[in-house]
Order: sequence, then structure tokens, then C-alpha cells
Amino acid sequence: MRSLKKLVAIGLSTALAFTLAACNNNEKSSSDDVENEDKQITLNFWTFGATGYEELAKEYEKENPNVKIKVRAAETAEHHDALFTALSAGSGAPDISMLEIDQLDRFKAAQDRFENLYDLGAKDIKDQYLDWKWSTGENNKRDFLIGLPTDIGPKALYYRMDVFEEAGLPTEPDEVANLISSPQAFEEAGLKVKEQTGKPFIDSIEMAFRAYLDAAEETFLNPEGELLLEEDGNAVKNAYDYAVKLNELGIVGKFEMWSPEWANAVNKGEFAAELGAGWLKGWMEGNATEAIGKWRVATLPSEFAANWGGSFIAIPKETKNAKEAYEFVEWLVSPDNQLKSFQTKGLFPSAPSVYEMDEFKNNEDEFFGGQATAPVFAKAAQDINGAIYKGEKYFPVYQEVLNALKNVQSKGADPEKEWNEAVKRAKDLLNR
Amino acid sequence: MSGLEKRKSTPVSRILIYVLLSIVSLFSLFPFYWMFVMATSPSSAYNSIPPTIAPGSLLIDNFKKVLDKIDFFQAMWNSFIVCSIVTIVVLFISSLAGFAFAKFKFRGKNILFTAILLTMIIPPQLGLIPQYFLISKAGFLDTLPGVMILFFLNPLGIFLMRQYISESIPDELIEAAKLDGCSNFKIYRSIVLPIILPAFATLGIIVFSAAWGEFLWQFTVLRDPEKYTIQVALAQLSNTQNVDFGMILSGVFWATVPLLIIFLLFNRLFISSITEGSVK
Amino acid sequence: MHVESNKEKVRKKGDMSTDLVPRKKKVRKRRYRSEEKKDMISGYLYIAPFFIIFSLVGLYPALFSIYLGFQKWNGLSPMEFVGLSNFKIVLMDPLFWKSVYNTIVMGIMGTAPQLVFGIIFAFLLNLAFLKFRNFFRVTIFMPYITSMVAVALIFSVLFSDHESSLVNYLLSLAGVDPVNWSSSEWGTKMAISIMVFWRWVGYNTIIYLAGIQSIPNDLYEAATIDGANKFQQLIYITMPMLKPFIILTVFTSTVGALQLFSEPTVFLGNSAFTRDEAMTIVMYLYRDAFKLQSFGTASATAIILLVLITVFAVINTTLIAGNGRKKRGENA
Repeated sequence: MRSLKKLVAIGLSTALAFTLAACNNNEKSSSDDVENEDKQITLNFWTFGATGYEELAKEYEKENPNVKIKVRAAETAEHHDALFTALSAGSGAPDISMLEIDQLDRFKAAQDRFENLYDLGAKDIKDQYLDWKWSTGENNKRDFLIGLPTDIGPKALYYRMDVFEEAGLPTEPDEVANLISSPQAFEEAGLKVKEQTGKPFIDSIEMAFRAYLDAAEETFLNPEGELLLEEDGNAVKNAYDYAVKLNELGIVGKFEMWSPEWANAVNKGEFAAELGAGWLKGWMEGNATEAIGKWRVATLPSEFAANWGGSFIAIPKETKNAKEAYEFVEWLVSPDNQLKSFQTKGLFPSAPSVYEMDEFKNNEDEFFGGQATAPVFAKAAQDINGAIYKGEKYFPVYQEVLNALKNVQSKGADPEKEWNEAVKRAKDLLNR
Repeated sequence: MSGLEKRKSTPVSRILIYVLLSIVSLFSLFPFYWMFVMATSPSSAYNSIPPTIAPGSLLIDNFKKVLDKIDFFQAMWNSFIVCSIVTIVVLFISSLAGFAFAKFKFRGKNILFTAILLTMIIPPQLGLIPQYFLISKAGFLDTLPGVMILFFLNPLGIFLMRQYISESIPDELIEAAKLDGCSNFKIYRSIVLPIILPAFATLGIIVFSAAWGEFLWQFTVLRDPEKYTIQVALAQLSNTQNVDFGMILSGVFWATVPLLIIFLLFNRLFISSITEGSVK
Repeated sequence: MHVESNKEKVRKKGDMSTDLVPRKKKVRKRRYRSEEKKDMISGYLYIAPFFIIFSLVGLYPALFSIYLGFQKWNGLSPMEFVGLSNFKIVLMDPLFWKSVYNTIVMGIMGTAPQLVFGIIFAFLLNLAFLKFRNFFRVTIFMPYITSMVAVALIFSVLFSDHESSLVNYLLSLAGVDPVNWSSSEWGTKMAISIMVFWRWVGYNTIIYLAGIQSIPNDLYEAATIDGANKFQQLIYITMPMLKPFIILTVFTSTVGALQLFSEPTVFLGNSAFTRDEAMTIVMYLYRDAFKLQSFGTASATAIILLVLITVFAVINTTLIAGNGRKKRGENA
């Protein structure tokens, strides 16, 4: 009996010590580190898309034998819904999770469910990353950091050399960038392609819309959750009008991104140019095998310099190993590893020091006829000005406006009428 | 009897029936076949217009890529365990309850039966969060039983069994057995079960395939790669931007083949449970 | 029945021992009563597993959803009681009514025909002279087990908007203009209905096949001797005898049709929750919950859907069941 009591007491105190250790993990002492050597830790890590993080995690495990990392991958939507479900139920969230930039704000709204990475030492590495990317992961007061930056999606002009040639346009990336240096020049080049080849200049109305939209800092909503669409000079309305204009000029195709027709058109050169982010390159290399050597990448007009996509890595509050989780994440997004992710999966680095590395700069892309495309995107990444506020319901509201544009294009609907209806639907969404 | 039949159905109508069934089979089979074509082709074949319809040469290469990325056979085994247990439990619960509803008198029977039907009409998509909450509180998160328990609820099974038992088992048979001193469970075991084998086969294949193909719940519950069921494992193959369709469909195809075998097994049960002469 | 079971309580003492020695009429009656009692216990016992599991994993989510219907909740912050306002928002939303309309239209186009064809296929597959019976049985069920991923991919290829897509090409041979399958009012509904029909007709067929197995053979033999042809046998024997199974499939199909979700979602892909041409009620609900984080209105929608399904299920099943009362001893 007595020994049992003793056992319970020991058990309880050990448990207490553990909890205290978990609470105090900010003030790490050297003795802590020694203890961790023998403590086995498992970190669950949820990812989406093709990141190649499985391989990097294995590398980390080798360097840190006491840490085991279980990586789970999924499609973007399913990944975020599952994370949301776990956070909502209050249990079962992973130790580490990726967050996509468009989904970020709905999780930022629940920042109490995440570790503040500033408390874990993130301040020290702030300077390694692009400013605009870093501050996207902060809250409005800039005292809470929800995620460390991973990849970004700087946009550039992907164009078909053969189609440009047929249209009498220059074909070398520098010449193209010099020629198409303003939205005005962009339209003119489009008209030339249309007249000479009969092909649309860009693939879809969505890309026409995103031309200005992605570059705007203030779009659909402000941080107070108010809809900005009806304000004078609203950037979304400008982007909308521009897309309508390009459509009226007849230079916008009907190839919806990711559809088989679109993929086929990329292969066969049925449209001339794509306003694509860095990650599109990876897709092209794997799926546009008929078009090897036909595509090139040039810098966009500065009005269109923008980011499309990219992610952050966050640590949900539930974790019992915040410190170890943070250490892994910090390692994972370090410039050296960003270079590796770039080389294996085409994840474009958000740490500018990578842009100076030889392996990055001089990497010739066979698919792009030997062009070194990385510097083009790197320049675009550094041209971006500030963080973009998207808001919790960014995506649904975006879709409403995009629907309006699609109706304009495919049904010949009146643009103003469609716009007003989209605004009405957007208001309805926000009332829920 | 066959002599009579031959006179009745003219060759023309028979040929028509064969033609009709063949067309239906063609439509039914095509996507499955196409899955095979994609599983043997490079990724770019998926986007080609007109669509590729002849198998390629990458059967083994594509599957090797799958094996490199996920623990395919472990996941198949997990799915097999989950689906088998689910099927057995559902068949047992449904036939027992179906038997009770079809042949016993007890108070509140119709209300209880209606209640069971009502449980069918709750949209599963909405239950996700509370169900997840329950499973996680019960400590079943990331376990195969946590995946299974939701599938045990199968009102359709009870409905089907009730209809089948009340149609195929005459009340007199049960009365007679009772007079012989059979307990109710003995009646269930030795009279009801053998007669309802065709319904078992039908319900079994439906339950098994449904559990095999379900994704959202399994994905939400499971975390540990060693416990992944096949659908969750397959999700590791796909990703938004850098899609290798050849590899994905190779995984999907090979994950469907066992289902086909299961169906053939159940079909055998279905056929063998019908005595030779009784097939018209 | 209630009265009888009360009487039984009085008599239950000593039944067991006396049963063993048959004592003429009185004992027989008593024995009968005890059987009834036993049946009752067995009845409850046999349905208990379902209700136990239901109370463990089914009841709480159902009650939770009803509770949520009266709250405003984004999934993460505390809930706020809002009375009937969620119902008001949903019922006043034209998109909700559009989704009801879409669901019913696609139910009529995609689900209802399954029942008719299911019976025909089951009947044909059960014909005595049929060779390759097993082959046909397997193939007709294949769509149900074919992975949704593959189904989604192939249907998006077959029904793509381009003039060159297979279906549009076939239509052009018939002189029909290409159809916009992904964003036109009727194009999307047609494509999805065809997909739903294709995927589920085999499912209903095998349920009917099981039902046909429960029909005694002598009926067909007698009919054949009387000179009834196959078509007459289908109408006068198979259909009436299949009635319990038809009721079953009408019920499940009504529920299934009103809960239509996966087929339109995978067919439409990225635009699934953003366009209204094929948005179903459950998609509307899912969009509220997971895209707009409005779990209150999503739950309110679920409650309204519950009422809709109940109404439709009752109407449809009584229409079927009422027309020519049941033949054999069975309380429906």
C-alpha cells in the first residue's frame, strides 16, 4: 500500500514537472537541452501540395535523433478544412501546419489557437525574409506572428516564343520586357497577336482580372471587415474594368486554368501569354511535354508586379512541444533549405539571400530553352511593395466578382449590371 | 420449362436484350478502363485532345512511383481491416434488427422503425464537427476503430433486411420452428440466415464499397501514416500544382481492383445461395 | 397488443416450469403468451445494437445541429444566440431557393430514372436464358465502385465546354450546337444528372436483384404455363412482388437525391461552391459551414432540409405504396 502511494506521488510530480516544462519552454536553460537529448518527441506536420517536406523532415530526423516527424499531405481545401475542424473541436490539431496565403486570415482571426512565434524566437530571423511576406504573417498590431514564411508566388509573363514570332513581336526575354513595360503596351502586344495569328493573347478572363488585382494592397475588405467594393477608385473595380476592356478587345481566351483544354492549349500554343506565378513552371515541366523550349519568362510591367500564392507554417497552441516544433520550422524555412525546396519542387524562396546563390542564379531551365528564369522571378519578388490584406472571406467574395466576369465573357452580359449583382451577393455573404 | 421458354422468347428479342446489356456494360466499364489507360500512360496523356484511349507502357513505372511515395500495401491492409469489420458488424446488426422488425410484435415498433429511417436524413456533411469532437474526446482519434464506428450506423441495412425477411420468410416457417422449441436466436441462426444470403451479398457489397471509397471522415480522423486507409494514402499522391496523373491514377486503379475481387466474391455468394433450378 | 401484454404480466410466474409438461388447452394458451413475451424481449434486444451505436455517435451530432441552428457561430469564437434569424437569412436568400430548385430538377432527371431502369436491368439480368449473366452483373455495378477521382476526371473530359469534347462532338453530328457544360443553366444539370444516373443505377439494380430472389419461382412457372410473355411477367409478377423493395429504393433515392453532394462537387471542381447553376441544398449548406464559416445558417439549412426530405419521402413512398395495397402479410 505504502509503495503504491509513493508511486502515485512520484507519478504526479513527474507529470507536474512535465507540464511545467511545457509551460516554460520560452526560458530555455542549458539543462533543458541536455534532457531533450533522451526525450523522444513526435511532431505531426500537416502539409498540402507538393512540398518535398517529407525528404527534408527525414534529413532533420537524422540530425536530431530524438525528433520524429510525421508528415501528412492533402489537397489545399481538404487540408484547411481538416485543420479548421480540429481547431474548432479543440483537439487533434497537428503540432505544425502549413497555411496557404488566401486562407491565412480566417486562421489569424483565431490567433489564440496558435503559438505566437515571436515568443519562440522568431524576431531573430525576421531579416532573412522579404518584408512584405513576413508582415503578411503578422496580426494588425504586428505583435503576433502566426507563421514563418515558406514559398512565394512572384508573377511574371510566360510567353510562347513561336506565337510572338508569328505576331512579329520580339522573342528574347529582355526585349519582351522592354517592349511590354506598361499596361498600355500589354494591350498593344495583345492586339498584334490577335491580328497576326488569330489567337488570344492571354488564356482566360480570370488572368486578365488578376493582372491588376494581385498587385493591389487594399482589395475587397478592410481589417474591420467592411466591404470596399463600392468605394470610389476601388482596386477591385479597376481590375474588373481592365478585364472587361481586354475582353472587349478580343484578346482574352476561354481556357480556364487547370482544365484539360487549357493544358492542351499550353502544349500546342493556342494562346500567346500567361500571367503566371513561379510555381507554374513546375507544372509546365511535368505536363507540357510537347512545348519544351517554346516558352520563355519575362518581367511584367511594374503595375502588374505581384504575388500569387505561397504559404506559411504555423504551430497550433495544442502542441506539447512548441519549442521543438519551432526549431524544426525555423530550420525548414532557412535559406539553405528554401534553396533545396526550390531545386526539388520549384517552391520559390522568400529569403532574398537565396537569390544571390549560384545554384539559384545560374540554374538553366531546359524547358525554357536554357533560359535562367529564377532571376526574373526574383526581381518580381523584390518589386512587390507591401503586404496585402485579404480578410476572412476573401476567397468567396473574389469568386463572386469572378463569376460576374465569366458571365460577361461567356454570356455577353452587361458588365455594370453583373458588377452590381456581384456586390449584392458579396454583401449577403458578409452578413452571415 | 426451358422448352416452353424457348418458344416464348423469339431470337430477335433475345438479341435485342444482349445488345442492350452490352451497351450498358460498355458505358459502365469505360471509366474503369480509362482509369487503366491512364495508369499505364505518362501524365501528359491525360490532357491530350482527343483523349488517349489505348493503354500505354508505363504500367509498372507508374505503380513504382506510387510505391515510392506511399506505403500502399499497408494502407490497403488497413482499409481491408476497416471495411471487413464494418461489413460484418453492419450485416449482423442489420439482419438482427431487420428480423425483429419483420417478424416480432413489440410495442412502439413502427415508431422505432420510423426513427431509424429518420437517422438517414441527417446530412453527413454537417455532422463532421460534432462527430469529430466525440471521437476525439473518446480518445479514438487517429485509430481505426474511430474510423469504423461511424460506418456501423446503417439504417439502409435494417430497412433492406426487414423488407427481405418479411418477403422471403413465411410466418408459418417461424411458427413451426417455435413449436419445435427453437429459441428466437436459433431461428435467426439456422433459418433466417441461410435464406437471406442474397440480401447479405447485396448489402455486403454496398457497405464494403461505400466504406472503401469514403474519404472525408477517414481523412479527418487519421493522422499517422501507418494507420492511413487507402483513400487517405492516395490523397498523399495528388497535389494542386504539380500533378502526375499517371501516378495518381495508377494508385487509384490498383486501389479499386481489390474491390472488384470483393464484388466477385459476394456475387458468388449471391449466386450460390440460389439453388440451380430456381433461376428462371 | 397493449392489453395482451398487460395480461401477460399477471401470468408470467411459473411459466417456465409448467411449460415442460404440456397440460392441454390452458397451457397452450399460456405458452403462447409466453412466446409473445419472449418475442417482445427479443425484438427490443435485436434492435438494441443500432440504437446503442446511434446514441453514442448519432444523437449528439443531430442535437448539436439543431442547437446550432439558433446560434451564430464561426466555428472558433463563442456562440451567440440569435433566435430565428438564421432561418430568416436562409429562407430569404434567393440562392437557397435556387438550390432547392436545382436539387429537385436534378433529382427528377438523374435519380428518378434509376428506379425504372434498375427494375428493367434487374429483370433482364435474372432471365434464365441469359448467358454471361455474371459478367453483366459485375459491369453494371462497376460505376459504383469506380473511384470518384477517376469518375470526376473522365466526366470533365467527356463533358468539357470545348467544341472538340467528345459529347459536344457527338452532338455536332446531330446538328446540335456545342453546349457549355460547366456554366450554363441546363448544361451543368444535364451533365451532373447523367453522372448521377450512371453512378447509381447499378446500385439500385442489385437491390432489385436481391428482391427478385425473394419472389417464389412457382409464380413465374405458373405464368409461363398460362402463356404470359416476359413483358407481362415483368408487369404482373415482378413489379407487384417487388413492391417492398421499390418502397425501399424510392425512400433511399428520395433521401439521396435531396442530399446530392459529391457528384456536382467533383464535376464542377474549383467552381463548385461559387456558381449557382448546379448548387444543391447540401452544397449550399456546406458552403455556409466551410467556406463562409457560418455554422448557424448551415445548421438552419440542415433543419429545413430535414423537413423537406421528410415531406418528400412521405409523399413519394405513400404514392408508391398506396397504389395497390400490399399483397403479403407484412406491416408496412
